[in-house]
Amino acid sequence: MAVTKVVMPKLSDAMETGKIIKWLKKEGDRINGGDILAEVETDKADVEMEAFGAGVLRKILVPAGEAAPIGALIGVIAEPGDDIAALVASAPAGGAGAGSAAQKTPLRAEPAPAPPAGAASAAQQARPASSATSPAPASAAPRPAVIVSAPAVAPAGLGQGNQAGRVKASPLAKKIAAQTGVDLRLIQGSGPGGRIIRRDVEAAGSGARVGAAAAMPAVAPVAVFGVEFEDVPLTQVRAAIARRMPLSKGPIPHFYVSSEVAMDRAWELRDQLNALEGRPKISLNDFVIRASALALLKHPGVNASLQGDAIRIHHRAHIGVAVALDDGLITPVLRDCHAKPLAQIAVEARDLAERARHRKLRAQELSGATFSISNLGMFDVAEFSAIINPPEGAILAVGSVRRMPVVDDTGLGVGRRMMLTVSCDHRVMDGAMGARFLQDVKRLLEEPLRLLV
Amino acid sequence: MATHTFDVVVIGTGPGGYVSAIRCAQLGLKVATVEDDRPGGVCLNWGCIPTKALLRNAEVVNLLGHAADFGIKLGGFEVSYPEAVQRSRRVADRMAKGVEFLFRKNKITLFPGRGTLKARNVVEVTGAGGTESLEARAVILGTGSEPKSLPGVTIDEKVVISSNGAVRNERHPESIAVIGAGAVGVEFADVFASYGAQVTILEALPRVVPVEDEEISKELARTFTRRGITIKTGVKVVSVKPGGAGVVVDLGGEKLEVERVLMAVGRGAKVAGVGLEAQGVQIERGFVKVSPTMETSVKGIYAIGDMAGPPLLAHKAMAEGVVAAEAIAGKSPRPVDYGNVPSCTYCRPQIASIGLTEARAREGGRDVAVGRFPFTASGKAVALGETEGFVKVVADKPTGEILGVHIIGPEATEMIHEFAVGRTLEATLEEIIHTIHAHPTLSEAALEATLAALGQAIHI
Repeated sequence: MAVTKVVMPKLSDAMETGKIIKWLKKEGDRINGGDILAEVETDKADVEMEAFGAGVLRKILVPAGEAAPIGALIGVIAEPGDDIAALVASAPAGGAGAGSAAQKTPLRAEPAPAPPAGAASAAQQARPASSATSPAPASAAPRPAVIVSAPAVAPAGLGQGNQAGRVKASPLAKKIAAQTGVDLRLIQGSGPGGRIIRRDVEAAGSGARVGAAAAMPAVAPVAVFGVEFEDVPLTQVRAAIARRMPLSKGPIPHFYVSSEVAMDRAWELRDQLNALEGRPKISLNDFVIRASALALLKHPGVNASLQGDAIRIHHRAHIGVAVALDDGLITPVLRDCHAKPLAQIAVEARDLAERARHRKLRAQELSGATFSISNLGMFDVAEFSAIINPPEGAILAVGSVRRMPVVDDTGLGVGRRMMLTVSCDHRVMDGAMGARFLQDVKRLLEEPLRLLV
Repeated sequence: MATHTFDVVVIGTGPGGYVSAIRCAQLGLKVATVEDDRPGGVCLNWGCIPTKALLRNAEVVNLLGHAADFGIKLGGFEVSYPEAVQRSRRVADRMAKGVEFLFRKNKITLFPGRGTLKARNVVEVTGAGGTESLEARAVILGTGSEPKSLPGVTIDEKVVISSNGAVRNERHPESIAVIGAGAVGVEFADVFASYGAQVTILEALPRVVPVEDEEISKELARTFTRRGITIKTGVKVVSVKPGGAGVVVDLGGEKLEVERVLMAVGRGAKVAGVGLEAQGVQIERGFVKVSPTMETSVKGIYAIGDMAGPPLLAHKAMAEGVVAAEAIAGKSPRPVDYGNVPSCTYCRPQIASIGLTEARAREGGRDVAVGRFPFTASGKAVALGETEGFVKVVADKPTGEILGVHIIGPEATEMIHEFAVGRTLEATLEEIIHTIHAHPTLSEAALEATLAALGQAIHI
């Protein structure tokens, strides 16, 4: 007789709640240990949840679409004869409360900012609503739920998750919006009950034209219309970022060290490597990853984190590579970069980024980084500084490679330059340490053949 | 002269006026109505309702004429036109009494007599019992319209009749020329022809029911011609003079000798004799100029219905009456959507339409999709033995917006509302096709025509 409590697992470092995307097993199914029970959306990714016991899935306590805090009882695996009534009864209704298995995974002491189950399910409902009747592919993309409000409207529904889910709009308004690229979430409807109807979309579409006309030297006052503000509920990812960043920038005293890197040779080498037949495509960011990994090995003080009254020095370079998503960013971890050749880094980094965008990362790919790299080069960013992702001790911010005038021994020429800025935790390291690390990264990139050996 | 005080005085109790009065009363206003005929106006007494009774008679006569098609042998049958007219009078009386009942129920005071504006907020009623003065916060005018004639032609309601005479006159003509092939013209042409008259329709424009979609006109002309009705379009009536069997209609070259002439060239707003000029109420092209809440150029004076402009339709008047009432009661009513007023003609086959004709939809180079479905392919229509006509859907191709719908055929006037609701909700073709239509119904033709506009019709 073995009754196994199925609890919301902690699938990533930052995870506080998880939402059941779908149950892959249904009540009554026989379960073997290791079977995939369900898909869970965490703050970072969609991950599969394994069964830790065998038996029959007797009860599902948290249905698909609802969220539960980690540790909460979400299901029961037992043999058909086992009495699970007391266990089931002990679970809070809807499974949203802390489960009886709290002792297994200690819940954090601070008040959990877990959204009520209703908010999650409302957000879930928003998706079918936008694609239910419209075959227009553009409008079928899942969107975060939104509340639109204008000053004229009583803000009764603001902030209430259950009202956040749907954009009320006529079918015609939806189609015209999809075809003209008007965002329905930004429009105040004038139809019954605030329903967005055709003229609202057309007015919004002509808003741009009104704005353009206003730019001309006319005396007439500009008609300002449209919504005053909108409340977009935090996605899981955004909520995690919002929660965690103050834990970084607030308590962690950042300092920044910047350096300009001559990328001419790396550029040339990259082109040469990519011209080789049958080789994986390599990006300059792969060079940066490899260079950072090698520099981290040489400067373990940067590959470090504060652990209470100790500093943990890492001897392996697990590098988190920030990937921009539509609704936030995610930092999958490329393990043991110091030990991987450039080609392998290139292949793995591309695979991680690809799967990150499709939310197909495994839980272990989301934790354990010792250092991170954030590259905004593709946005033509000259330079920027990043916020450290605790418990890591440093993060490297990479700008774009720009052609610019440079002076060398022969005079004025054109060179490719890139700005690197490393943000360091001053509690763990000092300026000189960060500078030496950066100097090495710079040297490796400027003499990129070193990256190949 | 007694003076009474009300919140609202409504002059005219046609469909606009009585609906407006009732809505005012519902909203807690104290309402008086003024009527110099019977409550219900032209619509209930001399227009919509009695003509529908006559058309029903025409339909029954036609059906009996086709009894053999259903395997029913009648040893001949007799029809009595006077009794048809009497029946239509009874129907009208009953409906008019209904309005009186509704007034009592809603505690609306009816002042029989002629109402004239004496001041912005004062209406003088001159009736059989003398003169009374009504004071009100707001006045709603709904005096309606009357038949127009051609220049130089006097309507005597004996040989040259209007719709007013046509619904009253119990003598059925042997031959009649109907001048004007709009809704009134073709409806009476149907009635007279069904009772055996030689009917000639004369229309100045190139086609019958000229405001409808061209294909509708073609279909109606085809079925009317088959039923023995003569149609002359693009003709100009030069004169209408007594002579011959009754009247001689000169078409400039051709002369038409008929027993009677029905003048159905349109209706004009009744804006004279109400005191509008004295109050400074602005008139534009023969109609009272109104705001979206039906207020005239003079604050506190509202105008609704036929006098407030086209389309001259009872249901449009009712909608305007509600808007005026709600505006007066301090609500902010949704203005009437004049682009979404269904238009119905009750001849056989019936015609109903809403929105733009195909030609209008194509003006300006819009990418238009058209779907048609004939009733010959509708199981229900075939079972009924009513297979004339079709449903035509005109849509905007990129968005599927339903631009216009044109139906000719059995119960067309009942079927149009699916599209009226759809258009109000801004449904597109897809919402219609995803709406399951019961089988077998005539409304399936609406579904199929919609499918056809998307190139997906199943049953054709």
